[in-house]
Amino acid sequence: MANQTSRKKESTVKYVLRLTFTLLLITSVVAAALAAVNAVTEPIIKQLNEQKTQQAIETVLPGGYSETIENFDDQNGLVTKVYKGANGYAMEVRPAGFDGEIVMMVGVDFEGKVLGISVVSHTETAGLGAVAAAKTEAGNAFRGQFTGKSGEILVNKDGGDIDAITGATITSRAVCVGVSAAVACAVSLG
Amino acid sequence: MNFKKQFKEGLLTKNPVTVQLLGMCSTLAITTSLFNGLGMGAAVTIILICSNVLISALRKVIPSQIRIAAYITIIAGFVTVVDLFLQAFIPDLAESLGVFIPLIVVNCIVLGRAEAFASKNGVLASAVDGLCQGIGYTVALTIVCVIRELLGSGTFGGGLLNGGEGIRLIPAEYPAMQMVMPVGGFLVLGFVIAGSQWLMQHLEKKNKKKEAAK
Repeated sequence: MANQTSRKKESTVKYVLRLTFTLLLITSVVAAALAAVNAVTEPIIKQLNEQKTQQAIETVLPGGYSETIENFDDQNGLVTKVYKGANGYAMEVRPAGFDGEIVMMVGVDFEGKVLGISVVSHTETAGLGAVAAAKTEAGNAFRGQFTGKSGEILVNKDGGDIDAITGATITSRAVCVGVSAAVACAVSLG
Repeated sequence: MNFKKQFKEGLLTKNPVTVQLLGMCSTLAITTSLFNGLGMGAAVTIILICSNVLISALRKVIPSQIRIAAYITIIAGFVTVVDLFLQAFIPDLAESLGVFIPLIVVNCIVLGRAEAFASKNGVLASAVDGLCQGIGYTVALTIVCVIRELLGSGTFGGGLLNGGEGIRLIPAEYPAMQMVMPVGGFLVLGFVIAGSQWLMQHLEKKNKKKEAAK
């Protein structure tokens, strides 16, 4: 009711302007506050992501990397970054998982054999697909299967020899697709 | 202001999850481990208190015609702040909850309390309301989490205790993994709602008996 009486006193132009400027003021203040928070958190988040990538490279490529390769041939369009070291390549691949992208680091030696894999980030189901990334016994066992593999890698359901994670065949398949793409890319690089 | 009444309402008689049935999306999706439940509960509670306080403080300034737009802007602001802080300082939790942190913006509990309570009550009462509703949400979420985790993964305190693996109560080959999938969420939530209804009726009967005895 209070609004209706105030509306009678105000002209329509004034009333519309008041609504507009109130909302503008609120959104401006919120935007300014967000900018301030972002300025604080952005460098920290960036550093954390960098750290994660570095850790993943170290896990999959013994001896680390010395250069980043910009020109690489990738038929599957899944490889996003290639790091070259003394023992082979570390490749960042992004296959589509059960629920969004799985960002993985795959280490491949110069002969096209997998050195190791590590999941950088994912949004798979907790307790099922998430096992692929978990630092648990089951997770290590699943990722360990890829070491030494070459060529096209498949889960046992598709005729390959990777034991899929129980209840997470789609996630397991996605990991295989990612690793295969990395191997193919490494072979093309020689 | 009646703290005891607000607390009882938030926890049981007007519990956002089991009675108001708000915020079902996050309730069903993330309740697979204790860590997720407590983390989501804490995030929502903080956002509820902040947005309730600010909306209550601005309730006489915001014209009612644009109130929903204004509330959502304020809520989205707080949610983004919490999201950024989580990503920067508790990255494990941010990764575990994923998209459900930004989705708190459209969680009806927050907007619901802004509309139903904060826009009509004082700052202090609104803060208490945010706290009580937040606790109610957290408790309901945690109960669902514990049951689903136990039946689905066979552990307790996943992501939190025992170096992230949780304490194993049921050997790994027995748990029904359907319980951590959506179907388990619906099942467990249904039973939790039934349980809270039973508890409310039970308490009511007790009160009536007491009054009759007087």
